[in-house]
Amino acid sequence: MTTALVVPTTVVAALLTVAGIASTAARRRIGLVHLVLAGVLEALLVVQAVRAGVRLAGDAELPEMATFLGYLAGVLLLPAAGVLFARTETSRWAGTVLAVPAAAVAVMVWRLLQLWEAGSG
Amino acid sequence: MAERRATADAPPAEGLGRVLVALYGVFALAAGARAAVQLATRFSEAPLAYLLSAVAAVVYLAAAAGLLRGGRGGRRTALVACAVELAGVLVVGVLSLADRAAFPDETVWSGFGQGYGYVPLVLPVLGLLYLRAQGRAQKSPPPKSPPKSPPPKSPPPPS
Repeated sequence: MTTALVVPTTVVAALLTVAGIASTAARRRIGLVHLVLAGVLEALLVVQAVRAGVRLAGDAELPEMATFLGYLAGVLLLPAAGVLFARTETSRWAGTVLAVPAAAVAVMVWRLLQLWEAGSG
Repeated sequence: MAERRATADAPPAEGLGRVLVALYGVFALAAGARAAVQLATRFSEAPLAYLLSAVAAVVYLAAAAGLLRGGRGGRRTALVACAVELAGVLVVGVLSLADRAAFPDETVWSGFGQGYGYVPLVLPVLGLLYLRAQGRAQKSPPPKSPPKSPPPKSPPPPS
């Protein structure tokens, strides 16, 4: 859990949010750009979860361990669920459907960082 | 989606309804995860606030499911869920400011949802507006109307 990982994650999540809203504004369905961005986002989140998991299995101790683990696992679900849900939407709103979880990810990773730094800070 | 038929003659705002479902889904996850943690680790500290978190999660889930299913039953479920939500966020918002002792830890609804960017306050209003617009759109045309043909052109006024 470092800023070095949280910042790129936020950037990708923000790009996905913008791409989703843009496709709605352009009256289009989601395309390859959205899927690639969501894939990159999911990969970054998996890396984050694995790194945090390794550190926690070692010596790291957090004051709010349960909350941290809940967020860590919950955030992994969002891009995947967003893509699955957006692909069943056949109108131009598919992009916004995907933008919602992407924006949520951007918020949640900073909350995760906050929880992490409360422990090892 | 198995329930596609129920929404086949829904108004074009159906896609927008999906956006609401996504928002409700995210909030069901957020409130549910928080409630699970709070109830599991420190229920005795503030049972009222933590139970409310759990209730909020269930209500969000019901709203998402109702909107997703569509049809009359789904719309009614969503309507009740949105109303409960609006009442909840208003009541808890006032209580959390008036009686801080009962709400030592944040819930989704405390301070009118300020911990979540006031989205919990806006969401039920959006849901109710959407449901009302959808209800209107479904009521106005006859149920089994054939695809609309362009309106008959009135002859140009004699000049």
